[in-house]
Amino acid sequence: MSCPKTQHLLQEYFSDGLAPLAKKEIENHLNSCEQCNDEFEFFLLAHSNMKGWKDQSVPHWDRGLELFKREHRSEKESMGFWGRWQLVPTAISFVMLCVLLLNVSVISGERGFFVSFGANSSNLQLQYQLAEIQEQYLVEMDTLVNQVGEWLDSNNVQVLQVVMERTREATMENLDLIYAYFEQQRLRDLEDMRISYQELVDSDYETIRSLQQLARFVSYQDDAVR
Amino acid sequence: MGLINEDEALIAAALKGSAYAWEKLVKRYESRIFNYGVRITGNTSDAMDLTQEVFLGIYRNLHRFRGDAKFSSWIFRIAHNKAVDINRRKRLTTTLAHTNNDEPDFLETVAGDNRYEPDKKLVDQQANSRVISMLARLSLEQRLVIELKVYQSLTFEEIADMQGVSANTAKTRFYTALKKLKAVSEENNVLS
Repeated sequence: MSCPKTQHLLQEYFSDGLAPLAKKEIENHLNSCEQCNDEFEFFLLAHSNMKGWKDQSVPHWDRGLELFKREHRSEKESMGFWGRWQLVPTAISFVMLCVLLLNVSVISGERGFFVSFGANSSNLQLQYQLAEIQEQYLVEMDTLVNQVGEWLDSNNVQVLQVVMERTREATMENLDLIYAYFEQQRLRDLEDMRISYQELVDSDYETIRSLQQLARFVSYQDDAVR
Repeated sequence: MGLINEDEALIAAALKGSAYAWEKLVKRYESRIFNYGVRITGNTSDAMDLTQEVFLGIYRNLHRFRGDAKFSSWIFRIAHNKAVDINRRKRLTTTLAHTNNDEPDFLETVAGDNRYEPDKKLVDQQANSRVISMLARLSLEQRLVIELKVYQSLTFEEIADMQGVSANTAKTRFYTALKKLKAVSEENNVLS
């Protein structure tokens, strides 16, 4: 006897986004219904067999590249006036590349423009240009040095005048101070000398008195002996 | 960069005329389409025709891809339509030739080459032969629904949208296909 639920349950089981509760209910039924379970197991086996497919490698083919290139080439050919402006950056790049590879140099001087190709020819022009620049540079440097010298001279004179004036004032003050110091020192020395003479005089006086006393003592002793 | 974003970048570059981008885009999907073709048509020759037609269709309609859906879904919609077309043409041709051979010629083709293949490849091809022989017993609609559900992992809603039927019809087709496979299997067991 077939189960009326088989088709519905298995369809639902393989549906997308089956709720966990619904899945659980279906699994409960599968456990209790032999027919549904047999069918379910076969479906799983068939599914598993089909999943056993191993991808085969694709035979070689041109991947439509011929058609792609042909059609896009024809599109480019018919791109019109404005389309050609797309080539401008390429053309500019090409010209710059040529300039770089051929070592092209354009020199503007007093005699006009010089266009040279390669390193040798451009070296002569370059040396000529360099000599001109050096000469001009030297003249400018001389002028500059003279200007700086004059400026420094005038500046130095002013500075010297100020320094001399300040030095003179300072010297005078210093001389006054020195004179006052010497005068003070002289007076102090005179005072010291006077005191020293006085002490010497006093000392001499004492010596004389001592000698007198000694003389008197000696004469006294002589008198006594006699 | 994600796979989808990379697809979009390649599509944009291909639309601007980059052959490199186009080739990369094709390489990215050709294996999936070719194997889809082998399973649906049952032979490598028709699968290769299908692959070429699918990529021609993609090339012709690439400017119409808006990015609303996944690029892979869009490709498989084209592949689905091409598979139906090829099946229709083939049926017409076989009818005109008064032949009634619905069996795929894949098995014979592969079997002839097996002697020269390494063991692993032989095992792989035997597994593929089993799948082909199972799918060969189904109608095109059933084969397509099995293909889209089992191998491309599409939802029943997406399959229904692709086949122009309701989601319930797509579910029923899938169930019917599995029932038929079971019947064939039982029949083979009885006969053997």
